[in-house]
Amino acid sequence: MTLFRLCIAITCILATCAVLLGALWAQFGQGEFPCPLCIIQRMAMMLAALGPAWLLCRAARGPVDAHDFAQCYACSILAALVGGTVSARQVLLHIAPGDPGYGAPMFGMHLYTWAFVVFVVVVLASAIQMLFLPKRSEAHRVGLGARLSVLLLGAIIAVNAVAVFVESGFHWYLPDNPTSNRLIEELRSEVSEPSAGERESGVEPP
Amino acid sequence: MDALIFVLILATLMAMWRGKRRLAGLLFAVSLVAVWMLFKHHATDALPINL
Repeated sequence: MTLFRLCIAITCILATCAVLLGALWAQFGQGEFPCPLCIIQRMAMMLAALGPAWLLCRAARGPVDAHDFAQCYACSILAALVGGTVSARQVLLHIAPGDPGYGAPMFGMHLYTWAFVVFVVVVLASAIQMLFLPKRSEAHRVGLGARLSVLLLGAIIAVNAVAVFVESGFHWYLPDNPTSNRLIEELRSEVSEPSAGERESGVEPP
Repeated sequence: MDALIFVLILATLMAMWRGKRRLAGLLFAVSLVAVWMLFKHHATDALPINL
């Protein structure tokens, strides 16, 4: 039974990773710059996936009991509630008739609407998991698949950290409607701006 | 700010991986609060709905 529970944890992580990879594909494949609320939803989705990831990490180090399961899935529920609030707000921002929404729709709905669906599913799945907690602690060998799924989640978080740094540049916050990668723009303008010595001597930059 | 929160989330995952329960729990809580504060900062527009 523990093996079945761990398989469900791996499935939860991989499903979240698939959604996050879809968001990265929309960003880099379709050239859509994610808005601040989209980025916050990604963060909440990652935090929700940390619940089952924590469970797998605990199972890799020894027996897991009902307390471990409850703590990990409670983390997922908390993160999903924050993410659901953010995505619900973004849905409401674009709910007025005639509003085209932010970004291109995917499979009939915008990404933030899909995010809301994902957060509701995370809450439901975690609650169902908590209904069937194990009665005693059980040990099980955590295989390569579990480790790889956690590593994949880590890689996706790292890629998002770099991507959002490129998008925001050396600013504390992203603009409400980003249209470019500010770090690249700033570096380009640094290169094209003449230095102080060149300005004094009147030398035109190449 | 956004990139820093992603780094914080990554640090949380690394603490979980290394089996440091208290640190992982603390980092998770800090990340969640940071995400909420970032949302509060950006949630400034009035909603276009009449209730």
